[in-house]
Amino acid sequence: MDKILTFFTEIGKLKELKRRGWVLREIKNPESVADHIFRATLMAWVLGRKKRGLNIEKVMKMALIHDICEVYAGDTTPYDSILPKSKKEIRKLLRTWPRFSDSKKKRLSEKKFKKEKTALEKLTRGLPKELAREMMDLWIDYENGKTKEGRFFKQMDRLENFLQATEYWKKYKNLSQKSWWDQARESFDDPVLLEFMEKIDKQFHKN
Amino acid sequence: MDGKIYYITKEKLHELKKEYEELLEIERKKSLGETAPKIFESEDLNPEFVSFQEDIGFLRSRIDELKGIVEHHELIKSPTKDKQGIVSLGAKVKIDVDGQKDEFVIVGTLEANPALGKISNESPVGKALLGHKIGDEVSVSSPIKTTYKIKNIKYEIG
Repeated sequence: MDKILTFFTEIGKLKELKRRGWVLREIKNPESVADHIFRATLMAWVLGRKKRGLNIEKVMKMALIHDICEVYAGDTTPYDSILPKSKKEIRKLLRTWPRFSDSKKKRLSEKKFKKEKTALEKLTRGLPKELAREMMDLWIDYENGKTKEGRFFKQMDRLENFLQATEYWKKYKNLSQKSWWDQARESFDDPVLLEFMEKIDKQFHKN
Repeated sequence: MDGKIYYITKEKLHELKKEYEELLEIERKKSLGETAPKIFESEDLNPEFVSFQEDIGFLRSRIDELKGIVEHHELIKSPTKDKQGIVSLGAKVKIDVDGQKDEFVIVGTLEANPALGKISNESPVGKALLGHKIGDEVSVSSPIKTTYKIKNIKYEIG
Protein backbone atom coordinates (compact mmCIF):
# COMPACT_ATOMS: atom_id res chain seq x y z
CA MET A 1 0.00 0.00 0.00
CA ASP A 2 2.94 2.36 0.56
CA LYS A 3 3.62 2.60 -3.16
CA ILE A 4 -0.02 3.27 -3.95
CA LEU A 5 -0.06 6.06 -1.35
CA THR A 6 3.05 7.50 -2.99
CA PHE A 7 1.22 7.48 -6.35
CA PHE A 8 -1.67 9.44 -4.79
CA THR A 9 0.60 12.00 -3.14
CA GLU A 10 2.56 12.46 -6.36
CA ILE A 11 -0.52 13.02 -8.56
CA GLY A 12 -1.84 15.35 -5.83
CA LYS A 13 0.90 17.76 -6.92
CA LEU A 14 -1.09 18.37 -10.11
CA LYS A 15 -3.51 20.42 -8.01
CA GLU A 16 -0.74 22.97 -7.58
CA LEU A 17 0.90 22.74 -11.00
CA LYS A 18 -0.27 25.74 -13.01
CA ARG A 19 -0.90 25.26 -16.72
CA ARG A 20 2.09 26.66 -18.57
CA GLY A 21 0.14 28.39 -21.35
CA TRP A 22 -1.63 30.62 -18.81
CA VAL A 23 1.53 31.33 -16.85
CA LEU A 24 3.19 32.52 -20.09
CA ARG A 25 0.15 34.71 -20.75
CA GLU A 26 0.40 36.17 -17.24
CA ILE A 27 -3.13 35.08 -16.28
CA LYS A 28 -3.82 35.79 -12.61
CA ASN A 29 -4.37 32.67 -10.52
CA PRO A 30 -4.53 30.34 -13.54
CA GLU A 31 -6.05 26.88 -13.53
CA SER A 32 -3.93 23.90 -12.52
CA VAL A 33 -3.32 20.71 -14.49
CA ALA A 34 -5.77 18.94 -12.13
CA ASP A 35 -8.42 21.60 -12.88
CA HIS A 36 -8.02 20.92 -16.60
CA ILE A 37 -8.21 17.14 -16.10
CA PHE A 38 -11.38 17.51 -14.01
CA ARG A 39 -13.36 19.42 -16.63
CA ALA A 40 -11.92 17.52 -19.62
CA THR A 41 -13.11 14.26 -18.00
CA LEU A 42 -16.63 15.57 -17.46
CA MET A 43 -16.76 17.03 -20.97
CA ALA A 44 -15.59 13.70 -22.39
CA TRP A 45 -18.34 11.89 -20.50
CA VAL A 46 -21.14 14.29 -21.42
CA LEU A 47 -20.17 14.89 -25.06
CA GLY A 48 -18.98 11.30 -25.55
CA ARG A 49 -22.56 10.13 -24.98
CA LYS A 50 -23.47 11.76 -28.29
CA LYS A 51 -21.04 9.43 -30.11
CA ARG A 52 -22.50 6.08 -31.00
CA GLY A 53 -20.26 3.14 -30.18
CA LEU A 54 -17.78 5.10 -28.09
CA ASN A 55 -16.60 3.33 -24.93
CA ILE A 56 -17.23 6.03 -22.31
CA GLU A 57 -15.45 4.17 -19.52
CA LYS A 58 -12.33 3.98 -21.64
CA VAL A 59 -12.57 7.65 -22.65
CA MET A 60 -12.97 8.75 -19.03
CA LYS A 61 -10.04 6.67 -17.83
CA MET A 62 -8.01 8.13 -20.67
CA ALA A 63 -9.07 11.63 -19.64
CA LEU A 64 -8.06 11.01 -16.04
CA ILE A 65 -4.57 9.83 -16.91
CA HIS A 66 -3.78 11.90 -20.02
CA ASP A 67 -1.72 14.57 -18.26
CA ILE A 68 -0.59 12.85 -15.06
CA CYS A 69 2.92 12.40 -16.50
CA GLU A 70 3.29 16.17 -15.99
CA VAL A 71 4.05 15.53 -12.30
CA TYR A 72 7.59 14.81 -13.52
CA ALA A 73 7.62 15.96 -17.16
CA GLY A 74 6.07 19.36 -16.41
CA ASP A 75 3.53 21.12 -18.59
CA THR A 76 4.91 22.29 -21.91
CA THR A 77 3.59 24.38 -24.79
CA PRO A 78 4.59 24.52 -28.47
CA TYR A 79 6.04 27.98 -27.75
CA ASP A 80 8.67 26.73 -25.29
CA SER A 81 11.35 25.97 -27.89
CA ILE A 82 11.18 29.47 -29.39
CA LEU A 83 10.55 31.70 -26.38
CA PRO A 84 12.25 35.07 -26.64
CA LYS A 85 13.73 36.71 -23.54
CA SER A 86 11.73 39.89 -23.23
CA LYS A 87 8.16 39.89 -21.93
CA LYS A 88 7.12 42.17 -24.77
CA GLU A 89 8.41 39.72 -27.39
CA ILE A 90 6.77 36.78 -25.59
CA ARG A 91 3.42 38.61 -25.62
CA LYS A 92 3.82 39.21 -29.35
CA LEU A 93 4.73 35.58 -30.03
CA LEU A 94 1.72 34.29 -28.11
CA ARG A 95 -0.71 36.19 -30.32
CA THR A 96 -0.38 33.61 -33.13
CA TRP A 97 -0.14 29.83 -33.33
CA PRO A 98 3.54 28.84 -33.78
CA ARG A 99 4.53 27.36 -37.15
CA PHE A 100 7.45 24.97 -37.60
CA SER A 101 9.15 23.10 -40.43
CA ASP A 102 8.20 19.46 -40.92
CA SER A 103 11.46 18.26 -39.41
CA LYS A 104 11.08 20.48 -36.34
CA LYS A 105 7.47 19.33 -35.85
CA LYS A 106 8.70 15.75 -35.87
CA ARG A 107 11.62 16.47 -33.55
CA LEU A 108 9.49 18.35 -31.00
CA SER A 109 6.80 15.70 -31.07
CA GLU A 110 9.25 12.82 -30.53
CA LYS A 111 11.09 14.65 -27.75
CA LYS A 112 7.85 15.40 -25.89
CA PHE A 113 6.59 11.83 -26.32
CA LYS A 114 9.80 10.33 -24.97
CA LYS A 115 10.01 12.67 -21.99
CA GLU A 116 6.38 12.13 -21.01
CA LYS A 117 6.50 8.36 -21.47
CA THR A 118 9.52 8.12 -19.17
CA ALA A 119 7.71 10.29 -16.61
CA LEU A 120 4.58 8.12 -16.75
CA GLU A 121 6.66 4.96 -16.29
CA LYS A 122 8.29 6.49 -13.22
CA LEU A 123 4.97 7.66 -11.80
CA THR A 124 3.17 4.32 -12.20
CA ARG A 125 6.09 2.09 -11.23
CA GLY A 126 4.68 1.24 -7.80
CA LEU A 127 1.20 0.37 -9.01
CA PRO A 128 0.04 -3.20 -9.72
CA LYS A 129 1.58 -4.21 -13.01
CA GLU A 130 -1.66 -4.61 -14.96
CA LEU A 131 -2.88 -1.20 -13.79
CA ALA A 132 0.37 0.52 -14.75
CA ARG A 133 0.11 -1.22 -18.11
CA GLU A 134 -3.47 -0.12 -18.63
CA MET A 135 -2.52 3.50 -17.89
CA MET A 136 0.37 3.35 -20.34
CA ASP A 137 -1.81 1.78 -23.05
CA LEU A 138 -4.48 4.43 -22.61
CA TRP A 139 -1.89 7.21 -22.70
CA ILE A 140 -0.27 5.87 -25.90
CA ASP A 141 -3.71 5.50 -27.47
CA TYR A 142 -4.46 9.15 -26.60
CA GLU A 143 -1.07 10.36 -27.84
CA ASN A 144 -1.24 8.50 -31.15
CA GLY A 145 -5.01 8.67 -31.74
CA LYS A 146 -4.96 4.94 -32.24
CA THR A 147 -8.60 4.05 -31.55
CA LYS A 148 -11.81 6.04 -31.90
CA GLU A 149 -11.65 6.80 -28.17
CA GLY A 150 -8.07 8.09 -28.51
CA ARG A 151 -8.97 10.28 -31.48
CA PHE A 152 -12.07 11.63 -29.74
CA PHE A 153 -10.31 12.47 -26.50
CA LYS A 154 -7.29 14.04 -28.20
CA GLN A 155 -9.67 16.64 -29.63
CA MET A 156 -11.72 16.81 -26.43
CA ASP A 157 -8.56 17.73 -24.52
CA ARG A 158 -8.03 20.66 -26.91
CA LEU A 159 -11.68 21.65 -26.70
CA GLU A 160 -11.44 22.02 -22.91
CA ASN A 161 -8.40 24.23 -23.42
CA PHE A 162 -10.30 26.18 -26.08
CA LEU A 163 -13.22 26.76 -23.68
CA GLN A 164 -10.85 27.88 -20.92
CA ALA A 165 -9.13 30.29 -23.33
CA THR A 166 -12.51 31.73 -24.31
CA GLU A 167 -13.46 32.16 -20.65
CA TYR A 168 -10.18 33.93 -19.86
CA TRP A 169 -10.65 36.10 -22.96
CA LYS A 170 -14.10 37.12 -21.72
CA LYS A 171 -12.74 37.80 -18.24
CA TYR A 172 -9.50 39.61 -19.06
CA LYS A 173 -10.28 41.05 -22.52
CA ASN A 174 -6.59 41.50 -23.45
CA LEU A 175 -6.07 37.80 -24.28
CA SER A 176 -5.70 37.17 -28.02
CA GLN A 177 -7.93 34.34 -29.23
CA LYS A 178 -6.38 33.87 -32.64
CA SER A 179 -3.96 31.08 -31.74
CA TRP A 180 -6.79 28.94 -30.29
CA TRP A 181 -9.06 29.46 -33.24
CA ASP A 182 -6.27 28.60 -35.69
CA GLN A 183 -5.36 25.49 -33.72
CA ALA A 184 -8.99 24.41 -33.34
CA ARG A 185 -9.89 24.87 -36.99
CA GLU A 186 -6.84 22.85 -38.05
CA SER A 187 -7.29 20.13 -35.39
CA PHE A 188 -10.96 19.42 -34.82
CA ASP A 189 -12.79 17.16 -37.23
CA ASP A 190 -15.21 15.41 -34.91
CA PRO A 191 -18.75 16.61 -35.81
CA VAL A 192 -19.90 16.61 -32.16
CA LEU A 193 -16.95 18.72 -31.06
CA LEU A 194 -17.17 21.06 -34.07
CA GLU A 195 -20.82 21.66 -33.21
CA PHE A 196 -19.84 22.39 -29.63
CA MET A 197 -17.15 24.81 -30.79
CA GLU A 198 -19.89 26.72 -32.62
CA LYS A 199 -21.94 26.79 -29.43
CA ILE A 200 -18.98 28.29 -27.55
CA ASP A 201 -18.63 30.89 -30.30
CA LYS A 202 -22.34 31.75 -30.15
CA GLN A 203 -22.41 31.92 -26.36
CA PHE A 204 -19.31 34.05 -25.90
CA HIS A 205 -19.15 36.20 -29.02
CA LYS A 206 -22.67 36.84 -30.10
CA ASN A 207 -24.40 37.38 -26.75
CA MET B 1 -20.46 2.84 -38.84
CA ASP B 2 -23.10 5.40 -39.94
CA GLY B 3 -22.20 4.87 -43.63
CA LYS B 4 -18.91 6.66 -43.07
CA ILE B 5 -16.17 6.13 -45.64
CA TYR B 6 -12.62 6.14 -44.28
CA TYR B 7 -10.12 7.74 -46.63
CA ILE B 8 -6.82 6.06 -45.96
CA THR B 9 -3.36 5.53 -47.42
CA LYS B 10 -2.24 2.12 -48.63
CA GLU B 11 0.37 1.93 -45.85
CA LYS B 12 -2.14 2.68 -43.11
CA LEU B 13 -4.63 0.19 -44.51
CA HIS B 14 -1.95 -2.50 -44.54
CA GLU B 15 -1.06 -1.71 -40.92
CA LEU B 16 -4.70 -1.84 -39.77
CA LYS B 17 -5.43 -5.07 -41.66
CA LYS B 18 -2.45 -6.67 -39.97
CA GLU B 19 -3.64 -5.53 -36.56
CA TYR B 20 -7.17 -6.79 -37.35
CA GLU B 21 -5.90 -10.26 -38.21
CA GLU B 22 -3.68 -10.38 -35.13
CA LEU B 23 -6.48 -9.33 -32.79
CA LEU B 24 -8.85 -11.90 -34.31
CA GLU B 25 -6.22 -14.53 -33.56
CA ILE B 26 -5.91 -13.34 -29.95
CA GLU B 27 -9.69 -13.43 -29.56
CA ARG B 28 -9.88 -16.92 -31.04
CA LYS B 29 -7.19 -18.24 -28.69
CA LYS B 30 -8.83 -16.58 -25.71
CA SER B 31 -12.17 -18.19 -26.53
CA LEU B 32 -10.42 -21.58 -26.59
CA GLY B 33 -8.78 -20.81 -23.25
CA GLU B 34 -5.33 -20.78 -24.81
CA THR B 35 -2.70 -18.23 -23.96
CA ALA B 36 -2.93 -15.33 -26.34
CA PRO B 37 0.19 -14.71 -28.41
CA LYS B 38 2.28 -11.94 -26.95
CA ILE B 39 2.42 -9.97 -30.16
CA PHE B 40 2.26 -6.64 -28.39
CA GLU B 41 4.70 -7.51 -25.63
CA SER B 42 6.78 -4.39 -26.04
CA GLU B 43 5.72 -0.96 -27.19
CA ASP B 44 9.30 -0.39 -28.28
CA LEU B 45 8.75 -2.96 -31.00
CA ASN B 46 5.39 -1.52 -31.95
CA PRO B 47 5.27 2.22 -31.27
CA GLU B 48 1.50 2.29 -31.57
CA PHE B 49 1.22 -0.43 -29.00
CA VAL B 50 -2.14 -0.96 -27.40
CA SER B 51 -2.66 -4.03 -25.26
CA PHE B 52 -6.05 -5.63 -25.44
CA GLN B 53 -5.03 -8.84 -23.80
CA GLU B 54 -6.45 -8.09 -20.36
CA ASP B 55 -9.84 -6.77 -21.39
CA ILE B 56 -12.04 -8.78 -23.72
CA GLY B 57 -14.49 -5.86 -24.08
CA PHE B 58 -11.77 -3.53 -25.37
CA LEU B 59 -10.51 -6.28 -27.66
CA ARG B 60 -13.94 -6.82 -29.27
CA SER B 61 -14.54 -3.09 -29.56
CA ARG B 62 -11.23 -2.59 -31.39
CA ILE B 63 -11.91 -5.58 -33.67
CA ASP B 64 -15.31 -4.07 -34.58
CA GLU B 65 -13.70 -0.69 -35.22
CA LEU B 66 -11.05 -2.22 -37.48
CA LYS B 67 -13.64 -4.32 -39.31
CA GLY B 68 -15.64 -1.16 -40.01
CA ILE B 69 -12.57 0.58 -41.41
CA VAL B 70 -11.46 -2.36 -43.55
CA GLU B 71 -14.97 -2.76 -44.98
CA HIS B 72 -15.68 0.94 -45.53
CA HIS B 73 -12.48 2.46 -46.78
CA GLU B 74 -11.39 4.27 -49.90
CA LEU B 75 -7.70 4.41 -50.75
CA ILE B 76 -6.11 7.83 -51.16
CA LYS B 77 -4.52 7.91 -54.59
CA SER B 78 -2.50 10.45 -56.51
CA PRO B 79 -4.79 12.41 -58.84
CA THR B 80 -4.22 12.36 -62.60
CA LYS B 81 -1.54 14.74 -63.87
CA ASP B 82 -4.03 17.38 -64.98
CA LYS B 83 -5.48 17.53 -61.46
CA GLN B 84 -2.22 17.64 -59.52
CA GLY B 85 -2.38 21.41 -59.27
CA ILE B 86 -5.51 21.18 -57.16
CA VAL B 87 -5.67 20.36 -53.45
CA SER B 88 -7.29 17.02 -52.79
CA LEU B 89 -6.71 14.21 -50.31
CA GLY B 90 -3.06 13.26 -50.07
CA ALA B 91 -1.80 16.68 -51.19
CA LYS B 92 1.23 18.19 -49.49
CA VAL B 93 0.45 21.89 -49.42
CA LYS B 94 2.92 24.68 -48.72
CA ILE B 95 1.07 27.63 -47.32
CA ASP B 96 1.50 31.08 -45.97
CA VAL B 97 -0.70 31.61 -42.91
CA ASP B 98 -1.07 35.33 -42.30
CA GLY B 99 2.61 35.73 -43.22
CA GLN B 100 3.93 32.59 -41.49
CA LYS B 101 5.15 29.62 -43.51
CA ASP B 102 3.70 26.18 -42.87
CA GLU B 103 3.14 22.88 -44.61
CA PHE B 104 0.15 20.54 -44.37
CA VAL B 105 -0.63 17.12 -45.72
CA ILE B 106 -4.36 16.62 -46.22
CA VAL B 107 -5.29 13.22 -44.83
CA GLY B 108 -8.37 11.29 -43.73
CA THR B 109 -9.47 11.39 -40.09
CA LEU B 110 -7.65 8.15 -39.16
CA GLU B 111 -4.25 9.58 -40.07
CA ALA B 112 -4.75 13.15 -38.87
CA ASN B 113 -2.04 14.44 -36.56
CA PRO B 114 -2.01 18.25 -36.55
CA ALA B 115 1.16 18.36 -34.42
CA LEU B 116 2.94 16.74 -37.39
CA GLY B 117 1.12 18.85 -40.00
CA LYS B 118 -1.32 16.09 -41.00
CA ILE B 119 -4.64 17.89 -41.30
CA SER B 120 -7.95 16.04 -41.58
CA ASN B 121 -10.02 16.62 -44.69
CA GLU B 122 -12.99 16.94 -42.31
CA SER B 123 -11.47 19.79 -40.26
CA PRO B 124 -12.62 23.33 -41.11
CA VAL B 125 -9.20 24.26 -42.59
CA GLY B 126 -8.75 20.93 -44.42
CA LYS B 127 -12.21 21.24 -45.88
CA ALA B 128 -11.65 24.86 -46.91
CA LEU B 129 -8.38 24.07 -48.74
CA LEU B 130 -9.82 21.22 -50.81
CA GLY B 131 -10.39 22.10 -54.46
CA HIS B 132 -8.09 25.14 -54.44
CA LYS B 133 -4.96 25.73 -56.53
CA ILE B 134 -1.57 27.47 -56.19
CA GLY B 135 -1.99 31.20 -55.64
CA ASP B 136 -5.48 30.90 -54.13
CA GLU B 137 -6.17 32.62 -50.83
CA VAL B 138 -8.52 30.73 -48.58
CA SER B 139 -10.01 32.42 -45.55
CA VAL B 140 -11.72 30.92 -42.56
CA SER B 141 -13.34 33.75 -40.74
CA SER B 142 -15.82 32.99 -38.02
CA PRO B 143 -15.24 34.69 -35.61
CA ILE B 144 -11.51 35.37 -36.13
CA LYS B 145 -10.23 35.64 -39.68
CA THR B 146 -7.18 33.69 -40.85
CA THR B 147 -6.01 33.57 -44.47
CA TYR B 148 -4.18 30.60 -45.95
CA LYS B 149 -2.34 31.38 -49.18
CA ILE B 150 -1.44 28.29 -51.21
CA LYS B 151 2.21 28.46 -52.35
CA ASN B 152 2.77 24.94 -53.63
CA ILE B 153 1.00 21.60 -54.02
CA LYS B 154 2.59 18.20 -54.51
CA TYR B 155 1.65 14.55 -54.19
CA GLU B 156 3.99 11.97 -52.70
CA ILE B 157 1.62 9.05 -52.44
CA GLY B 158 3.26 5.69 -52.76
